[in-house]
Amino acid sequence: MKNEYVPHPAVIESIRQESGDTKTFKLAFEDKTLAKSFDYKPGQFVQVSLLGVGEAPISITSSPSQKGFLELTIRDAGKLTHAIHRLEPADKIHIRGPYGNSFPLEEVKTKDLYFIAGGIGLPPLRSVVKSVFDKRGDFGKVKILYGAKTPQELCFKEELQSWKQMNDTEVLLTVDEADESWKDNAGVVTTLWDKTDMTTSSGAAFVCGPPIMLRFVIGKLLNSGFKDESIYITLERYMKCGIGKCGHCNIGEKFVCIDGPVFTYSQLRNFPDKEKAIA
Amino acid sequence: MKQRLLKKDNVKGLCIKASKQWETYVPLEDTVGGDTHFVKLDGKNNELLLDRLNLDYESLVVPPKVIAFPQLDSLFRFQGEKIIETVPPASKKLLFGLRACDVKGILFMDDFFKRNFEDIYYLNRSMDKLLVIVGCKQPLESCFCTSAKTGPFLEKGFDLQLVDIGDKYVVEIGSERGEEFVNTYRRFFDKASKDDIEHSEAAKRNVEESVGLRVDFEKAIKSFCEDKVPEEIYETIAQRCIYCGGCLYVCPTCSCFNVFDDIKAASGARYRNWDACVFEGYTREASGHNPRTEKWLRTARRYEHKLKYDYLATGTSGCVGCGRCLSSCPVNIGISQVIEEVSKH
Repeated sequence: MKNEYVPHPAVIESIRQESGDTKTFKLAFEDKTLAKSFDYKPGQFVQVSLLGVGEAPISITSSPSQKGFLELTIRDAGKLTHAIHRLEPADKIHIRGPYGNSFPLEEVKTKDLYFIAGGIGLPPLRSVVKSVFDKRGDFGKVKILYGAKTPQELCFKEELQSWKQMNDTEVLLTVDEADESWKDNAGVVTTLWDKTDMTTSSGAAFVCGPPIMLRFVIGKLLNSGFKDESIYITLERYMKCGIGKCGHCNIGEKFVCIDGPVFTYSQLRNFPDKEKAIA
Repeated sequence: MKQRLLKKDNVKGLCIKASKQWETYVPLEDTVGGDTHFVKLDGKNNELLLDRLNLDYESLVVPPKVIAFPQLDSLFRFQGEKIIETVPPASKKLLFGLRACDVKGILFMDDFFKRNFEDIYYLNRSMDKLLVIVGCKQPLESCFCTSAKTGPFLEKGFDLQLVDIGDKYVVEIGSERGEEFVNTYRRFFDKASKDDIEHSEAAKRNVEESVGLRVDFEKAIKSFCEDKVPEEIYETIAQRCIYCGGCLYVCPTCSCFNVFDDIKAASGARYRNWDACVFEGYTREASGHNPRTEKWLRTARRYEHKLKYDYLATGTSGCVGCGRCLSSCPVNIGISQVIEEVSKH
């Protein structure tokens, strides 16, 4: 029987500052065999530890096609992430996983794909976006709608520009609070609906963001013709184990850690309101 | 079902003999206070320990889940960056003197810790065991096992089930392992006569009839599953509940835990400890977002987990009718009252 609770040491290869409070850590398992064999799907997460501080679930932001390392984009939000932010290249952390289900890329082949992210919601979707671009020909057109509070809080700024150059791909950015430097749209992410045609009958949407954003975005998507089962939402919940035991991430009879974190809107809609699956 | 007879005078001897082969747990009465707890026979003072054997206990304050799922459990130790594993060794356990409802609780927990990812800490302690029920004689006022169909005696799920008929027990053999056990320790067992068996059937009926608290369990489950429970019920409970988590700690099927690190200088350990879904911090994320800040939402979760979501996920309710939540509650709320209230609607 495997001991799922014991994490494996990994070394920080490099750190990229994404925004004021967010960094991307490139990590490689110390154990070379594990580094090679570690495989995951877009949408999955790992449990990240600093021994003596604690452990938390963090979604993998790199693409599974890039072997030998993984990237985690982490916001300085709590005790553990604050300690992780003080680490430097060559420092060690501990990782176990990958856990959770994933975005069903096979099911959305040939379809038009719409990615809608708010704030720290882009990192989990980046793994899917990169996987889609790895096999660009397999999918229809791509639209990426991404909003943050301020221009400084946008993650992956350079990459967003490079995504704009991809074939048949639109990237639309917005910030809640624009400053003088900001030339793009100002307003919450749903205001981007005025900037592009979102109407579809067969497109698939991938959504990640704060709970309040989810509610409004789903409303907009439904109005644009998206079907309940073609809206994929990745949820965040407080988690301790990642393997369906500790109970913290329960929604209804489901565990976000093993039945999710990716759910379709047709699944989420069926939970009673008081389970607060969305907001 | 096959039966044997076990004279009460033989119980101690059987436990001592069995403890040489099995890690043996028996209910012992505390020297102070009169509570009864399952205690492991340590091999040295077994005679002395067994002087406190109490198979007639009313209810264990803490359910036997603690044996495989202790309140505080080390997941591993660490020195600097080095992890030292602390997985408990797999062991062969004899749990002698369980109540039927608690066996139901154990089976529920076994299934939970096996499902999806296997939990090695729990399973190493729990998978290789012999469950010996000593049936209830005097159900408490808070017990409602007949409504939950979890007691006072079981039809299956146990290895041996003992029915008190005075100075002896009729031993019902519920599994091959149970039969093997009886054969191995055959000198402690006698043949059960037709009279003994009739006597035990009557004794079982008597106990069953003496379970005074009856609730419409099935109707309540149906209401929960069809989402017909009025929110006012949760709001009313929320006004009284002090959110101490006590009912969940003593629940034989509650398995939620928190994980935390403890460190001094460069060495320390990662532990898990019991947690409770009624605590406000239970669902609070690092961002501060918390889907269950309102008290009534946590109350709803607490009861719906047992009576709706466990049922939807496994086909079995998470409530075994032991009544501990009521008897341990400082403000007199029990799941039996919630069931009663819900089944009125």
